[in-house]
Amino acid sequence: MGALVIGGVSWIGFGRDTSSDKVEELTIYSGRSEEFIAPFFARWEKESGIKLNIRYGDSAELAAQILEEGENSPADLFLSQDAGALGALSVAGLLSKLPDSAGDQIQSQYIGDNRTWVGVTGRARVFAYRPGAVAKLPTSVAELTSAQFKGRFGIAPSNSSFQAFVTALINEKGEKFAEKWLAGMKANDAKIYLKNSEIVEAIDKGEIDLGLVNHYYVWEVSEALGREINAEISFFSPGDIGNLINVSGVGILGSSKKESAAIELINFLTAKPSQIAFVEDTHEYSLLSGVKAPEGLPKLEDIGAPEVDLGDLEKVQRTQDLLTKVGLL
Amino acid sequence: MVKSGSYGLRALVAGVLITISQPLLYLIIRAGEKPAGDILALLTRSKTVEVLGATVLLLSAVVAINVLLGTALAAGLHYIEIPYPRILLVMTVLPLAIPSYVFTYTWKALVPSLDGIWAATFILVLTTMPYMILAVTISFQRIDSGLIEVSRSLGLTKPAVFFRVILPQVRRSISAGALLSGLYVLSDFGAVSLLNVETLTVSIQNLYKSSYDRSAASVIGLLLFLAAAIFVSMESFLKGREFESRGAEGFQQQIRRVKNLPLSVATTFMLATYAFLAVVIPFYVLISRFLQNPAAVAISDLTTAAISTITVAAMGAAIAFLLSLPLAFLMTQGASTFGSISEKIILMAHALPGVVVGLALVSFGSRLGVLYQSIFLLAFAYAVLFLAKSVASTSSALSLVSPQLKEVAATLGKSKSRVTMEVVFPIALPNLALGVLLVFLTAMKELPATLMLRPTGMDTLATEVWSFAAISRFNEAAPYALLLVLLAAIPTFILTIPRSAKNEASVKAKVN
Repeated sequence: MGALVIGGVSWIGFGRDTSSDKVEELTIYSGRSEEFIAPFFARWEKESGIKLNIRYGDSAELAAQILEEGENSPADLFLSQDAGALGALSVAGLLSKLPDSAGDQIQSQYIGDNRTWVGVTGRARVFAYRPGAVAKLPTSVAELTSAQFKGRFGIAPSNSSFQAFVTALINEKGEKFAEKWLAGMKANDAKIYLKNSEIVEAIDKGEIDLGLVNHYYVWEVSEALGREINAEISFFSPGDIGNLINVSGVGILGSSKKESAAIELINFLTAKPSQIAFVEDTHEYSLLSGVKAPEGLPKLEDIGAPEVDLGDLEKVQRTQDLLTKVGLL
Repeated sequence: MVKSGSYGLRALVAGVLITISQPLLYLIIRAGEKPAGDILALLTRSKTVEVLGATVLLLSAVVAINVLLGTALAAGLHYIEIPYPRILLVMTVLPLAIPSYVFTYTWKALVPSLDGIWAATFILVLTTMPYMILAVTISFQRIDSGLIEVSRSLGLTKPAVFFRVILPQVRRSISAGALLSGLYVLSDFGAVSLLNVETLTVSIQNLYKSSYDRSAASVIGLLLFLAAAIFVSMESFLKGREFESRGAEGFQQQIRRVKNLPLSVATTFMLATYAFLAVVIPFYVLISRFLQNPAAVAISDLTTAAISTITVAAMGAAIAFLLSLPLAFLMTQGASTFGSISEKIILMAHALPGVVVGLALVSFGSRLGVLYQSIFLLAFAYAVLFLAKSVASTSSALSLVSPQLKEVAATLGKSKSRVTMEVVFPIALPNLALGVLLVFLTAMKELPATLMLRPTGMDTLATEVWSFAAISRFNEAAPYALLLVLLAAIPTFILTIPRSAKNEASVKAKVN
């Protein structure tokens, strides 16, 4: 459908404006894992008739690469695991302002400043725990510094999802507060892991009783191990900063000459069928209102997520310095 | 006589230096974007000092253990009566093929509490020990066995022969092994980052990834280069004077291994322990992870990734070989300041991590149109990253050929180029091959630069391992990691074929 429209325009336009020539290929840098996102891209290729050149990598590293490439970047789009990497490119002026028609159904809090990127899926911070191991579940992330959890919980301080959360904590409550909380976590003998998935595995094995992770990791680990695991997730009380919602998102590079085709791809990813598929296939949240939540989870609007400007999460240097200072990195 | 062509050669060497200095140039340009005051503040902040301290500590620990243990293992492999010496040699060299991140993942799967600088020392010793063993073993093979016979007949005991006759002669190779393993430690990212040790290389990566501050990352990159420079100059100090008898002149024969039960048992035990820790454990973990939840292995994906890996790594090794030739030839013409400085620069550049070389080539390469993200630029990146390995082997290969032999050939009326083709190359061939194979092996497992520079859509075995491991699908990563190690085992096996004096003898026969 999209290809037909674009093809039509090129017939009318005659001009040398490359954006209206028939687009045959798009290049996308994807910070999202091939395993989960490739089926979506394949579906779009089939629908649009446009071939995708997909470059997979780590979101932050791909963003660093695009910063180096600058105007010469071969990429038309950048799909990122988190808002931070998109924010960095936006600040550097490398993303073009999207028209209102791109991702127009996505709720506005999940769209970047100046509309340089739009969110694609929602990823909630939660705590995972082993059923039966924790008598009274924490109602706030602040409670993890209390004696009853001493040595029983895990965090992944070097992981970008944890750092995004700490960045939000600093932005929200100030550096003093964040430092005190982090030092409290350290003093409370927080177990350190590299990745969210390792925390979930440690809960399953009984090494720890709970841990701070993104909501879909219990499902992901269970898939990877090919069995049910002994872990569940839960949210803190509504409004608690521990319930932060980050997004994966997509932007179009200013250097791209294929903007309209790229917008079609964004609209494909943010349209209802894809959004439903994300919920079902990757257990992420849809950012459209009215699409159901992943199985067994409350609706996005019922989580009671704190109000946070996702565009402000790109500078994590201060966060890392703080984590280093308290000895968690 | 030999001086005549050296201006041309020097120009070629200078060309190579300029070519491989791209990453350094990039660091200087990027670092220069920061005001001097900020640079100073960054360099003097306590964090930087701590990171530098951790780097130096890790480097010293790994190198010290490698020098002691690696020399002992190599000596055991060569001089002591042990069962299946060839298999043990292959087993101790095979870890070359295992990327440090695979070592770390597999070991952490067994010992989740593995963390910190001593854990990193352990993993990096496992990773880099083969450099030491290879360098020293090859040099043992070259020692004039006549000299040993003479020493024995003069009444020296076996240990005395080893410490007073043999060791001084392999000092140069020990220091070369120390150098390669030390530079590996400086540029390693996989092991240290997974074990939460912040070295300079980890700092660089963190600065890129966390604040996208390329200037700060480049300042730390230059600091790393400086650390490498100091390390490389210390190595030439340790290496001492040239003091190596040339096996080429001597009488070489199969040496008689020392028969001594306790010594044999101890040696075998040490070698088997290393092989167990560095080969068996990673294999065991990979295979058991796969069996825990066997995934359907996509044979076509596996094949494609293997072919891509081999192709680009081979191209990289070929380019590195070609780039190493001018300097190697220059060095056969006798010691020169220009030559030794050039060699040192190439070695220092070897300390720069893949992410720096990758981003530098992204920065320059993205202006090159179709060449950007082509296999050619990726192969070139491998050559830049690993040229030092090729240069080290190539120059030692050509130094094997004695000047007298060349002169004899020349007086017999052979032209210089014919001397090179008919005399120098055949003798140097095994060591030349060693250099090419070392680059090939390391390029096969390279990750950070590969991720940035590979053609969009192309997967190598290393990128496949990375992409599955990133989502904890270790079961699906396992076949790719296993294939990577198995493919690398083939050249490793070739590397360990004992070099005989046979081809040399035949060359001499021809000359005479």
